[in-house]
Amino acid sequence: MALLGAEFRRDFEIRRYPVIVYALIPLISLVLQAWLPRVTGPYDWFDLPLVVTVYFALGRRSPIQGTVMGAAMGLFEDALSHRPIGINGIAKTVVGFLAASAGIRLEVDNQAIRLLLNFVLSLLSSAVYLFVTRFLLGMSLEWSWITELLRALGNSAIAVVLFPLLDRLQVKD
Amino acid sequence: MESFFTRYRNLVVLLAILVMQIAGLAMQVRRTSAGRGTLDSEDPGSVRLIRLWANAIISPPERLIHGTKLGVVGGWSDYIDLIHVRQQNQDLEKTIGRLRMEQAALLEDARQGQRLQALLGFQQNYIYSTLAAQAYGSGGSDRSRVFYIDKGSHDGLKPDMAVITGDGIVGKVRDVFGRSSQVLAVNDTTSGAGVILETTRIRGILKGDLSGQLEVVGIVSDQRIHPGENVLTAGGDLIFPRGLPVGVVEKVVPDPDRDGLVDVILKPAAHLDRLDEVLVITSTQPRFSPQEQQDINASETMKGSESSAVNDQMKASAIMAEKLPGLIDPNLPSDQQPLHDNSNPNPAGRPPQPLHPDEFSPSDATPIPAGTGPGDGSDAPKPKAKIPATQPAAKPTPLTPQRDQ
Repeated sequence: MALLGAEFRRDFEIRRYPVIVYALIPLISLVLQAWLPRVTGPYDWFDLPLVVTVYFALGRRSPIQGTVMGAAMGLFEDALSHRPIGINGIAKTVVGFLAASAGIRLEVDNQAIRLLLNFVLSLLSSAVYLFVTRFLLGMSLEWSWITELLRALGNSAIAVVLFPLLDRLQVKD
Repeated sequence: MESFFTRYRNLVVLLAILVMQIAGLAMQVRRTSAGRGTLDSEDPGSVRLIRLWANAIISPPERLIHGTKLGVVGGWSDYIDLIHVRQQNQDLEKTIGRLRMEQAALLEDARQGQRLQALLGFQQNYIYSTLAAQAYGSGGSDRSRVFYIDKGSHDGLKPDMAVITGDGIVGKVRDVFGRSSQVLAVNDTTSGAGVILETTRIRGILKGDLSGQLEVVGIVSDQRIHPGENVLTAGGDLIFPRGLPVGVVEKVVPDPDRDGLVDVILKPAAHLDRLDEVLVITSTQPRFSPQEQQDINASETMKGSESSAVNDQMKASAIMAEKLPGLIDPNLPSDQQPLHDNSNPNPAGRPPQPLHPDEFSPSDATPIPAGTGPGDGSDAPKPKAKIPATQPAAKPTPLTPQRDQ
């Protein structure tokens, strides 16, 4: 895994997308995240908003944009659930920030790195969710790390398929 | 100072957003006396507004996708169903006619039962008004087992209304928006409902576990609980009416947290993972539709004509009784009434001796010819008596007096 020096960071391409893509892709991911569990039943081991957050954070390489996007996606997810609004928001805020920070330092076109990043950031998101719910808010929450592991694997698999498709939407100079 | 914010602006923005969200969470969650965090059943106004916005943005495309899916699936199944549809339609019309008659009778019985229960002072809830709704979305995660239905406050829905299907209970309405509502499923970990085991009459609290299984928690270990036993709503939670199917006992496992208690794992009666259409119980007060009221009136009319026919029969019986000799004669004293007459009204005694006895005469001395008795094994042909069914039976000659007083 190539960690690069500061002088090379500016050479990385900052990806740009049509404005409609910034609006539509997150919206579609939120809609599908709300609708697909009705089709998949108990096998809803995926978190599309998280995958989209990671993708745009890695591509834009801007921690602020990654943070804002993660917060927005997480808050939307919370608003659709019956849990307090902000738990997913905090988790995805952290994920967006870290993904963008990683995007500055890593060559993110590599599929293996994308897969690994999604896996790690998914687990991190779950850990932050658990921390906020149990320790920050003191609320009871049943938890299964196996489910979270399966969710992280599912997100990684989706990212491997989805990222190349989203790459086609970027604006070429 | 300016350079500090410029240099660390990423971290500053991150911290600012995190602090804002933590502050928002602090306003939503409050501490109980036990030191646990809990969420109010009703959201604060600002939180409710955010949920409303999110719902307004996500719901329309979600409904569109769900409607498209239903259209495609429905179109295909409709095409398949067209085969034999005419015959099925005729059969169904006959069934509907029969069911309407049965329904009228059942409604009448229900009303009668209600009157009796009112007399007995029971506080019983009945489901009389439901609203069909289409389920189209979910909470997006197994951490929040909620789903959305396409009926809201404009349709008369309110929080805490019970949601059921024909198979059993499903959940309760949590948040109500204008044209949609959020339903908390019974298999969510934060859900709860009072239930009772049908046979053993053991009561417990129903909730869901992380995997979405239904379980009745905190039950004292009892050998009588066996797999296959039905579980019904107990009616004590003021949400679900009593007696609705919840599920069937699948297995009994020890409570991991408390010794001596068990958790009863249930197989849900309703298909909680694949819900399309649900019913929201909007009222438990007796409320009949015009059609049902018409059927009840028809039933009452039928009942009235039946009672008049019974009255006519009773009147005819009274007239007949006047013409027949009675057992009480008003002109005689009570000790001489025919009712108290113990003498034999048919003092036949022994029959008179015939002047010219033959083989048919009732005489003990007359021998019965051999081969004419039943079961004697004779193969001789016997004359068959052919008596038409409408012909009056001949009066039998009394052989011996059978009535002994």
